Amino acid sequence: MSSAIAETAGAGHARGGELAGALLGALNLAVAFGITWALWLLVLHPNGVLKLYTPMYGFSLVAVLVAVLVAMARVGEGWPLRASALAPPVRGVVATAIALALTAFIVHGFFWGFLGRFGVTYFSPRAIIAAGGVGAEFFNARENASTAIVYFAAAFLWLSLSVSIGFGTWPWQSTPPNVRAFSRLSVVTLLAVVAYAVLFHPHVTQLFYPAQIMAGAPPWWAALAQTGSAYFNLGWVMTAVAVLVVTEILWGGWPWRLLGGDSGPLRGLAALVGSLAGGVVLFVASLKAMTAFWGEPFQGGQYTDAPYFRYLHAAEISGFVVLSAFALDTYFGAARGAAGRAIRTAVALGGAAALHLFYYSSAATRLLGKVPGIAQPEDTSLVWTLLFLAIVLVQRDLFGGWPLRRGGTAA
Amino acid sequence: MKRRDFLKAMSATGVAAATGSMFAADRVDAADKLDLGMVRSVKVDVISETSWFDNDKFKANMTEGGGASTSQYTIAWDPENAGGYSALITVTTLQGEEKRILLDSGWSNAWMDYVFEKKGIPRMLQRGEIDFMVLSHWHLDHLWGIESTLKHNPKIKIIAPKTYYPEDLALLRDKGRFTAKDKAGRDVLLAKNDVPHRGELVLTGPEGQDNTGLYKIMPGVAVKMFDVPILLRVRGENVLYFNVQDKGTVTVTGCCHPGILSLFSFAKQNFAGYQPYGAYGGLHLSLFETWDPKFDDVIAGVKAFKLKKVAANHCTGWLWAEKAAASGVPIVKGTDTYKTYKRQSLVARASNAYLTNGDSVVF
Repeated sequence: MSSAIAETAGAGHARGGELAGALLGALNLAVAFGITWALWLLVLHPNGVLKLYTPMYGFSLVAVLVAVLVAMARVGEGWPLRASALAPPVRGVVATAIALALTAFIVHGFFWGFLGRFGVTYFSPRAIIAAGGVGAEFFNARENASTAIVYFAAAFLWLSLSVSIGFGTWPWQSTPPNVRAFSRLSVVTLLAVVAYAVLFHPHVTQLFYPAQIMAGAPPWWAALAQTGSAYFNLGWVMTAVAVLVVTEILWGGWPWRLLGGDSGPLRGLAALVGSLAGGVVLFVASLKAMTAFWGEPFQGGQYTDAPYFRYLHAAEISGFVVLSAFALDTYFGAARGAAGRAIRTAVALGGAAALHLFYYSSAATRLLGKVPGIAQPEDTSLVWTLLFLAIVLVQRDLFGGWPLRRGGTAA
Repeated sequence: MKRRDFLKAMSATGVAAATGSMFAADRVDAADKLDLGMVRSVKVDVISETSWFDNDKFKANMTEGGGASTSQYTIAWDPENAGGYSALITVTTLQGEEKRILLDSGWSNAWMDYVFEKKGIPRMLQRGEIDFMVLSHWHLDHLWGIESTLKHNPKIKIIAPKTYYPEDLALLRDKGRFTAKDKAGRDVLLAKNDVPHRGELVLTGPEGQDNTGLYKIMPGVAVKMFDVPILLRVRGENVLYFNVQDKGTVTVTGCCHPGILSLFSFAKQNFAGYQPYGAYGGLHLSLFETWDPKFDDVIAGVKAFKLKKVAANHCTGWLWAEKAAASGVPIVKGTDTYKTYKRQSLVARASNAYLTNGDSVVF
């Protein structure tokens, strides 16, 4: 495994013995939770300071931030900061500043200022308003542009992890880090553009009236999914991401490593196809569980009756699994041996269930400023989950685990 | 594209066989199905379905105030843009007796006083000719004009969702007065009520009377509270169900946040002799004049549920109503009566796809 994330994780780095390490890990997790909450209050809380949880605008910022963190640490392997002589905390501060600046630039500069103005109108609120038509004012325009950006970030995230986890450094294992970073970023971006165009763009072109049928095909999945919403695709993409993360973070790359060590074309293909297959299985299992709990959904149903909500909720559950896996590995070390991995997997799934319970609890209602209940169209747990994940990734990858762990050589 | 076998197991199921429900607890065995009784007819007069006149201004206020999840009591809504939602429901019983229900009390007192006068509501309230008021939910455009009702009859019985926030009850019962700061730092009066409610207040929950899920308020008429989270920090909505002789189930809603098909799905599972017939009210779809594929889903679903009469307005969205009508949904067209009112919604269109101010429908 060649990524920066892996080098900063793993048991044995915690200060002191196992018990002390576990206590420190728990303390660190609590601090990360607190930072997440403070940031939520400052940036996203509906009655906080900046109130950016509109919801899609805040969602787009957080989704792009996570994509940037993954691109810096995994796709780019921490280049160029990784080779610097800066101490981990200083390097972490610099890398975090770069990640935040990149996020702001990608959303406001690249999508809003450049791509939307000169290429694909719907990526820019101002370009949408300038184009005119029904409903073309700032609120709708920003939500629609943000929806497109969220979808692109999802495609990028999925392919970043598929390429970096699956193919490893192949075929650039012998090239300098800078060449490898740009090459992998280029490939991931190219694949993400294609995935976005096929999986999500057809939904975004339907967000306008009349639908932009010359720019995008009608949602091809509508007949089988009983909805034209691309939450259908977001659902299985996120369950595939969860499979990739679990196999990499909790299982040490098994079973993909059986086909070529840490990198290689066979391993890459196996990871891509295997994670998709596993993702579909998890996707269907999640939907079946929801059907057992809420009854059958149906076309045109809303809230928990809506097929599109069930797909989104499958993605939300996957988000809890991903966060739980990263938090477990970051704060409590990696598992050793098959039994250890099985236990860690069970603990991670338990953690995901706990996150689910928390998000829909009265405590979260008070802490996050939500309205009690589930399936509100203006609320998705992915925003809070990704914000929490971003905090974990910043500490893990940009600060090299500091102050919890010694050393750390990420971005 | 044909569905594969494994996809059949997914949540996406055939609409004709739809049997979903909002809550698992709502499902009942066939033997336990509820007999609502029957009414001869239901007439709905649109007092006002125009909750605000300028959609863009409403959205701008909301955006500046923090977005769709922000508390409605912290946003500096432009008072000049406020209208309100209210409907008068006249039920004719099987014995020929008429009962009247006021659904909601709008937002701006000035507007509500005006539209109430047009329909003779003050006199009906003063004479006790309106049997009770149903508050669909605690949103500003359904509640904040409550003074316009109470000043004519402060003791009217009100049926409201139990999922209120403290500000809501303060406005209803304790002379509440609320302001918010606008961008310039000035206080904007949001809502006030100088006539506290002194009558019976029935608070509804999803469990209903005797855990039946429903509140039967007269033969053939019931209220169902759906406990759903709603934008602008509001929760829960009351829906009126009617069982009309020789026709079937009719729903009358304020905003229908739970979803029109979820309402009929609930009825299908729980009502003896269920027969879908009609719907009146806001359907909470393309209210912001934007589109989403899920609105197409609702059009397909409504057709599959075989409703005979859909009188839509308010938060349904003109786009949805027009597109639904074009797709074969039996949309009840309105008239041009609304043009005789002193103000109109800027999104009103010549298609008359809305049953709008001054119109009525009989089920």
